[in-house]
Amino acid sequence: MLNSFHEIAQTLSHNKLRTFLTGIAVTWGVFMLIVLLGAARGVTNSFERNMAKSSMARIVVWSGRTSIPYKGNREGRAVYMSQKDLKIIPEENARYVDDVTSRLALSGTVSTSAMSVRADLTGVYPNELQLGNRGNLIEGRFINQRDMRDKSKVMVLPQEFAKQLFPPEGKKSVGGRVSNSGLSFLVVGVYESEWHRDIYIPFSTARTMVEDPNILNNINVNLRNVKTEQDGTAAEEGIRSTLSRAHGFDPKDDNAIYIANYFNNSLTAGKAMGILDTAVWALGILTLLTGIVGISNIMFVTVRERTHEIGIRRAIGAKPRQILWQVVTESVVITVLFGYIGIVLGMAVTQLFANVEGNLFLNPTVSLSIALEVTGVLVLSGALAGLFPALKALKIKPVEALMEE
Amino acid sequence: MTAENQESMIRLRDVNKTYFGAVPLHVLKGINLDVRKGELVSIMGASGSGKSTLLNILGILDNYDSGEYYLDGNLIRNLSENKAADYRNHMIGFVFQSFNLISYKNAMENVALPLFYRGIGRRKRNRLAMEQLERMGIADRALHLPGEMSGGQKQRVAIARAMITNPSIILADEPTGALDSKTSKDVIELFRDLNKREGKTIVIVTHDPGVAAQTDRMIRISDGVIIPGNLPPADGGESRICQC
Ligand SMILES: Nc1ncnc2c1ncn2[C@@H]1O[C@H](COP(=O)(O)OP(=O)(O)OP(=O)(O)O)[C@@H](O)[C@H]1O
Ligand SMILES: [Mg+2]
Repeated sequence: MLNSFHEIAQTLSHNKLRTFLTGIAVTWGVFMLIVLLGAARGVTNSFERNMAKSSMARIVVWSGRTSIPYKGNREGRAVYMSQKDLKIIPEENARYVDDVTSRLALSGTVSTSAMSVRADLTGVYPNELQLGNRGNLIEGRFINQRDMRDKSKVMVLPQEFAKQLFPPEGKKSVGGRVSNSGLSFLVVGVYESEWHRDIYIPFSTARTMVEDPNILNNINVNLRNVKTEQDGTAAEEGIRSTLSRAHGFDPKDDNAIYIANYFNNSLTAGKAMGILDTAVWALGILTLLTGIVGISNIMFVTVRERTHEIGIRRAIGAKPRQILWQVVTESVVITVLFGYIGIVLGMAVTQLFANVEGNLFLNPTVSLSIALEVTGVLVLSGALAGLFPALKALKIKPVEALMEE
Repeated sequence: MTAENQESMIRLRDVNKTYFGAVPLHVLKGINLDVRKGELVSIMGASGSGKSTLLNILGILDNYDSGEYYLDGNLIRNLSENKAADYRNHMIGFVFQSFNLISYKNAMENVALPLFYRGIGRRKRNRLAMEQLERMGIADRALHLPGEMSGGQKQRVAIARAMITNPSIILADEPTGALDSKTSKDVIELFRDLNKREGKTIVIVTHDPGVAAQTDRMIRISDGVIIPGNLPPADGGESRICQC
């Protein structure tokens, strides 16, 4: 064993360029496989995290403007979501609708003794933070049912405003008082979000502050009993026909209201993730195959180049299996060594991805078992890459091998 | 006859060999030949007469089409590649005109290589190789690569490699073909020495009558057949050419 390894080390180091070229093919193949798998894993992980954070079984309806005349109504008529819709949607679609919530947007100036800032105030239901990634509560509490019932004057501030309104650093903002349009609000919580900086107040309170409390920005419908895309579509159609009857627009009119079906989108996205995963595996395996073909080619040339040497070895009494063992081990040593380098480099790059700021990648690393499987494939392919040309070289007679060159 | 059989190291009976190229070429046409143990013989003949073909068959580097070849009493025919490798490793030492050393191994490693295939450890291998190199008088070149040696030195390394397995027979195909006359003489002296002192059976193919004259017996081959009526052996030993 040790004997043979010295022999192999000698041939490999004698043929540095060849060893290097073969090795590069392998390193590249493995490197690409690991990086691709890692990237795909990162995207999938990050997607799944976003999914998990926001409820996906919901549909949101926005106000719009008709584009088709309908039952005596001309086109171009504004359709506003209203308080009444909050009632009839659940009533007429009991099978799929769990509950409905909405949002009322106001803007104005909020101020404390320290500071005044312009801000968007949004009247929300208690479940607002669960709807599509709208933020994480970091201090205090969120709007609750009691606030809704009592139309309490309470606020949940984005972290940024908390810092500005309650210097230094927003300490003691919870429990503090903020005034808006002559009303004094109690700050009950602070949230952080990458995207939003609305100040949240109870929906019921907001209603008392707007001109026309019947006009809503949008309606959020939380669904139940939805499993498949058909369910999602049925729920959407039900809501559309309820609203079409209530507001007198053509159910086929896509502009009268805008419907975002998050449930169906999430199904599609899930499917896309699956496809991404498969595509990446396919790409990775193709890359690896390229590497293997590279090794086979080079091993083939190598063995051909060495036919004369193999002839010499046979003339002094090398048995076929001794020649085979040597060629195959050489090939395996190259693939494993350079494959290992590829794994290490690939892992290093996926770690770099992991440190990249932003949401694209989450934990983009490849599991040890995949690395081991890749190594297994390498050893096997390395062995085969060496085996076939060596078997071919052994088919010719020693005299003929000696005459080559 | 039986006693004689046991004495013969090489025994060929009606051996034929044809190369099936674009045009089939009948190269060996019924060769009959006996070489006794401990004999030092030379084979001479025109270029293309089949000398190398014959020697390669003797060294089991090539096969023959019909006839019989006994090496030390063993029939050499249709051997498995493993069995052939065993014979090459244990009984035969082959010396080539073009040396056939491995270019990236130094002299010592080249000489030691046959022992690698016997599974002997590196230390012991190298020690035995050094002994052989010393006998050939080139121990000082042990760590040189073939590319750094003269033809005569390379041929000594090749002979040392042939000798290291302590074979029963040494086959040399124009071992002095690439050497000048002075070096040729030294190399032949080496062969004679191995033959006299260790009783090795040695067959040398050569074009050089001077080399042939140093051997016990000269075998002439012409157009694939052995010519009867050989030169009497230089040292007065009896001729052993079979003419049946
Ligand atoms: N592999 C081969 N295929 C076809 N023909 C061959 C082959 N090897 C040798 N020959 C032919 O067989 C004949 C004998 O060749 P061989 O090498 O035995 O001659 P030789 O006596 O050794 O000649 P030289 O003195 O030039 O070395 C030659 O005509 C040669 O061309
Ligand atoms: Mg010849």
